[in-house]
Amino acid sequence: MSAAPHWLTAAEATRAFAARTLSPVELLDALLDRIALLQPKLHAFIQLDAEAARDAARAAEHEIMAGRVRGPLHGVPVGVKDIIDVAGLPTTCHSRILLDNVAGADAAVIARLRQAGAIVLGKLATHEFAIGGPSFDLPFPPARNPWNPAHHPGGSSSGSGAGVAAGMFPVALGSDTGGSVRNPASCCGIVGLKPTYGLVSRRGVFPLSYTLDHVGPLTRSVADAALMLDAIAGHDPADPGSAPSLARLFGRDLDRGVRDLRIGFVRHFHETDLPAHPETTAALTEAARALQAAGAELRDVTLPSLNEFAGVNRVILTSEAWSIHAPWLRDRPEKYGQLARRRLLPGAFIGAGEYVGAQRRRAQMIAAVEEAFREVDVLLCASSMDPASRIDDAEETARTYPRQARTPFNVTGHPALAMMAGLSSGGLPLSVQFVGRYFADATVLRVAAAYERATGWHERHPPIG
Amino acid sequence: MMTPDLLAALAKAAGLDKALAAFPEDVAAAAAQALATAGAIAVPKDPAAEPWPPMRPGVGL
Repeated sequence: MSAAPHWLTAAEATRAFAARTLSPVELLDALLDRIALLQPKLHAFIQLDAEAARDAARAAEHEIMAGRVRGPLHGVPVGVKDIIDVAGLPTTCHSRILLDNVAGADAAVIARLRQAGAIVLGKLATHEFAIGGPSFDLPFPPARNPWNPAHHPGGSSSGSGAGVAAGMFPVALGSDTGGSVRNPASCCGIVGLKPTYGLVSRRGVFPLSYTLDHVGPLTRSVADAALMLDAIAGHDPADPGSAPSLARLFGRDLDRGVRDLRIGFVRHFHETDLPAHPETTAALTEAARALQAAGAELRDVTLPSLNEFAGVNRVILTSEAWSIHAPWLRDRPEKYGQLARRRLLPGAFIGAGEYVGAQRRRAQMIAAVEEAFREVDVLLCASSMDPASRIDDAEETARTYPRQARTPFNVTGHPALAMMAGLSSGGLPLSVQFVGRYFADATVLRVAAAYERATGWHERHPPIG
Repeated sequence: MMTPDLLAALAKAAGLDKALAAFPEDVAAAAAQALATAGAIAVPKDPAAEPWPPMRPGVGL
């Protein structure tokens, strides 16, 4: 077990609760102390709900002591991206437009987390409406990177990434439409999982793009990502995109290793499509070597180019987002921050033919990835091409943000996980991404766990606090 | 490349009069991005290539 309670993973915390070496109230108090110390530097929270969390921790403590364990996350505090409804709290989407938008009910994922025993700690910073950031012209400051607060933490689930990496809470929820769970995971050196499209309900989550939106966990270990997915996955008849899959126990293969797996290395993403920072390239080469050394068979795989994946993603995303935001963009464009306004307005200029054309090309891209999965079990590729830039360097942030390989798997809906793969010479996290077949989220987690064991990057924490 | 007149006409047709008046640079940047993005896609030439997701009656409702 790690020395300080704030560095415990969810799995470690629940084991400590069971062994009576730690109580949910003691863990929560330690985290609240940590939050008091770091929130002024990192701005991970929009709203901390300490009183409700204390009440829930006391109830959890009482129940666990009485032998009534509600679920695998009983007593574990969780942070929630502020586009996800928590009953009684505002869902602001980090925007002036929704400052008074108090949720009347829990989102489906929150209801499921509570059922598993988790404690909602509060609402977390995001890019405005999960698209516009990092920004300084919004009602709340942007979250910062705990490895170096002068740098951005990625986004749009920025508070989720910053808070998990900094030890403010062990696990968090984010959303991912073009990489918004995996980007903060990559920038902050943690684990971010975008599950298979339809595996996790989006009911009660403010939409950005209906056919690209996913909800997923950010955690400090692969085992915790599996625990979170176990809690939040499942069919929801109220989500039109919800899959009928009833798969469970996503951590069942974490200890199996990779000896019988074929891993496809998508080198062209980072070698030719968007040539990566040399330290990222070296980290990816080393990741491939580590998995090969663990027994996996490595093959090169070619997919459509990142440039075209990005184009398809952007046309679909901005078109669908326009259908959501058009009334506000027409009536009160001044209420948006500049980045959100600039990123949402393109939808007004995309024609119906272009949108349908993008969806038609999308079908071909899905077929191309499916074809690759006939030859391999999991894909290995880049997540971010560069370490996080300085948050006050808008030009460099605008240059590096799109240099990523996450959007392909929003376009296709395959499960994809990003995790730490090293540290740059500047002390910022580098990352790798694993992608699996539809509903083979457990296999993605299996490969990630093998990589985690082989490298131990998850044991490194930001030098903050 | 979009002329200023065409940009203004398209923005007004989309109901963006207020945005055009208050944030003309944002509207122009958005139009330029839309043009560039749509041009990057190789739309299938086969007329029978259908969009994703397909129509699935009775599913998801």
